[in-house]
Amino acid sequence: MAKHLYLHVPFCKSICAYCDFCHYLYKEDQVSKWLDALKEEMASYKIASALETIYLGGGTPSVLSLKETEKLLSMLAPFSKQLKEYTFEANPESITFDKVRLYKDFGVDRISLGVQSLDDDLLKLTNRKHTAKDVFETVEIIKKAGIDNISIDIIYSLPTQTLSTFMDTLKKALSLDIKHISLYSLTIEEGTLFKAKGYKSLDEDLEADMYEKAKDYLEANGYKQYEIANFAKDGYESKHNIGYWEYDDFYGLSLGASGKIGHRRYDNTRNFNDYLNGNYIFKYYDLTLEDEMFENIMMSFRMKRGLDLKRFKDRYKKDFFSVYKDAYDKHINDLIVKDNYIRVKNLEILNAILVDFLKD
Amino acid sequence: MKQSNIRNFSIIAHIDHGKSTLADRILEMTDTVSLREMQDQILDSLDLERERGITIKLNAVQLKYHALNGEDYIFHLIDTPGHVDFSYEVSRSLAACDGAILVVDAAQGIEAQTLANVYLALDNDLEILPVLNKIDLPNADVDKVKAEIENIIGIDCSDAPLISAKSGEGVAKVLEDIVSKLPCPKGDKDAPLKALVFDSVYDAYRGVIVLICVKEGSVKLGDKIRFMASNKEYEVVELGVRVPKEVKKDTLECGEVGYLCASIKSIKDVHVGDTITLVNDPAKEPLKGYRKMNPMVYCGLYPTDNARYNDLRDALEKLQLNDSSLTFEAESSKALGFGFRLGFLGLLHMEVIEERLEREYNLSLIATAPSVIYHVHKTDGTILKIDNPSLLPDNTQIAYLEEPYVKASIMVPNEFIGAVMELSQNKRGIYKEMTYIDDNRYLLEYEMPLSEVIFEYFDKLKSVSKGYASLDYELIGYRRSDLVKMDILINGEIVDALSVIVHRDFAYKRGQAITVKLKDLIPKQQFEIPIQAAINNKIIARTNIKSLRKNVLAKCYGGDITRKKKLLEKQKEGKKRMKAVGSVEIPQEAFMAVLSMDDDNK
Repeated sequence: MAKHLYLHVPFCKSICAYCDFCHYLYKEDQVSKWLDALKEEMASYKIASALETIYLGGGTPSVLSLKETEKLLSMLAPFSKQLKEYTFEANPESITFDKVRLYKDFGVDRISLGVQSLDDDLLKLTNRKHTAKDVFETVEIIKKAGIDNISIDIIYSLPTQTLSTFMDTLKKALSLDIKHISLYSLTIEEGTLFKAKGYKSLDEDLEADMYEKAKDYLEANGYKQYEIANFAKDGYESKHNIGYWEYDDFYGLSLGASGKIGHRRYDNTRNFNDYLNGNYIFKYYDLTLEDEMFENIMMSFRMKRGLDLKRFKDRYKKDFFSVYKDAYDKHINDLIVKDNYIRVKNLEILNAILVDFLKD
Repeated sequence: MKQSNIRNFSIIAHIDHGKSTLADRILEMTDTVSLREMQDQILDSLDLERERGITIKLNAVQLKYHALNGEDYIFHLIDTPGHVDFSYEVSRSLAACDGAILVVDAAQGIEAQTLANVYLALDNDLEILPVLNKIDLPNADVDKVKAEIENIIGIDCSDAPLISAKSGEGVAKVLEDIVSKLPCPKGDKDAPLKALVFDSVYDAYRGVIVLICVKEGSVKLGDKIRFMASNKEYEVVELGVRVPKEVKKDTLECGEVGYLCASIKSIKDVHVGDTITLVNDPAKEPLKGYRKMNPMVYCGLYPTDNARYNDLRDALEKLQLNDSSLTFEAESSKALGFGFRLGFLGLLHMEVIEERLEREYNLSLIATAPSVIYHVHKTDGTILKIDNPSLLPDNTQIAYLEEPYVKASIMVPNEFIGAVMELSQNKRGIYKEMTYIDDNRYLLEYEMPLSEVIFEYFDKLKSVSKGYASLDYELIGYRRSDLVKMDILINGEIVDALSVIVHRDFAYKRGQAITVKLKDLIPKQQFEIPIQAAINNKIIARTNIKSLRKNVLAKCYGGDITRKKKLLEKQKEGKKRMKAVGSVEIPQEAFMAVLSMDDDNK
């Protein structure tokens, strides 16, 4: 039985310039139809009452009204009794004190706040609808409403960004006094506003400089890197995300979500009408043993602590080093084996290593 | 059928001027092909040809036409390849004809290749029937193009059919003109057999199928025949015509065009241009014009996966069954392992073969940059012919080098003359002549090293002339040049497959261009990689590929395993198309980087 659940709230009031996630503009009647469909989708799974984590991502979950939120969280209530972590994603411009109280009443104990930058020019460029000041106020509201496990998302390598403007954002971020920071480099994807405007990625070296400097800076200030893009104060690592990285099973609900149950993964549809018509799943992936082993490695190598070798053997009845002898030999200097874990020495070049673990 | 009611002709046209479309219309209007069988551009049977809109292999069809004068006629439409690489094949298929339809795009006018083929047709004493196509285009200028044909080729266009092959308009007149204006075959039906071989295809069950035109006499089943050039003898086991389906016949009479099978096992025994005669009643002399075809362009071809060497050999053997102008022999490279050196008629031929190998035989290949045959005059007085730059002997053993030159004819509108001249000069072209064609166009003639023509000259020509210039070239012999071998070093090691022979004056510039291009093409690795160009161990250009610092870290939400994996699978796919040379992984395209033009880094 899966212990984790992800639910995608596909609505937004505006579209960020970098975003190619599944998003639809917020409209009340659409939300109401969506909530009805979601109820049916949930009924199609036998969701365990003993879930460990729930993550409501988006889109912008906080865009939902109090009433809509209540309806949504009520649906999840039967499964949220024994949670170890319950995360709600929010944007500064849509979150309110009352909303946070409502989340908290339903057991939400972690807010992931989309910040992206604390530089007003860059916020404008990325088509965000809030200012740096709004972020500070929002964090205060969340804390006041009783949730102090707050995470923020920061994007770096944005067009026109320099090393110093980026470090400035990080410095401000620290003064928010939050528990967790996710740090993502911009990739300009097809179908985004950035792509349409012809923006190009920054120089690779500058991007690497930003990453390295940010890593050192955050580590020096008590945010420990525990995954390639994630930093946390002690004890505040995201349990939900660690579930992904340990390649646990998880339910993926609603448009654009993905899930994994047993030897099968699935990607949900991104098409609103298909979803309303009950065609939730776009594609299934039946996994071979080889698929599972590789995907497990791909996910676990993202973590600082790496892959649990004992668990690998228990799960697949195979010895890691005999299955991946060639790749391991090739990257023997890039990998560290210690205390029954294998990890990547330099996470920046993770992909270059993983490619060799992928069998033909 | 009476010989006087036979018409053998081909269609001459520039690429895109509508040859295949006209052929389609003629086939339809003669009721030769039922609609069910009709596919667009039916004569181009290879997929690749249809995709590229060009005709590579020749084909011949027999059509029945009921003319307005009440008589029935047999047409043999003989298709010709439309590219400069295949000019000898064109000349032989023209030799099978008595007339030719010259299709000219009424909006574009005559192009260099068309002109080259018209001259070939005139050389073969063909009657030319000019036809203006695409008259329905808004920018068609019938009078101007008519005048152009009259001025340049000197044939009367006053009565030339004005057609739209696409809509079929005017094609009926073309059919009537074929009857009234093109001559019938003139051969003597009672003379000893002379049949011209103008194409051949290999069939797994019947051996080589030879396409012939019976110029004199006749041939029947059971006849003992001799190929006069190769001197091989066979017995005819099958004869027939293509309509375009094969229809078996007992005899092929004088003037007829059809196919012949004689249990011929190898296509190498059948040479295009050869004459078939009877063993018992031989012709005194063969038809004129036979020439052995020699490859002009060579390149090395290696499987990216060494284990597939044998698959590559098998594939080449199969391709050669149908392509006698393709040559190959085994070679090995320190960098690339075991592979083959292939000889081609030209660049297009090379591209087509590479593409077919990858597509039809599912091979992932690395091609080295094309090379010509250089004549190395050694100090000991001997001459060495090399088709692979890495085989050039040590400097001290070389007295001098010679390289093949071509006469390049470029037809170009006024406004681009300057650009074309500059380009040709940069390609070591020697200006010969400029001929006025009409108010707007000139024919430029240059003598130029073939090696420069294959170094992207054609593409560059198209780009500096916005696509208006057209090119034709023919080999004119070997000339002495101040050539040097330039080696490319990657991570300090010479990569033999990247060595190239260049003119000394151009070496520095080209070395710069190649190293910069390689820098862009070779992905960053976990260490810094110097790339150098050297002549006689002296470094003349250098760049560095900085070491890899950071891979793409997309923000895809945690659970999106599909997307993360796809990214890696894409990278893996790219890697498969790379060759590890020492510790550096080099992508396929890098081996063609030596083709990069000198001004790419402007």
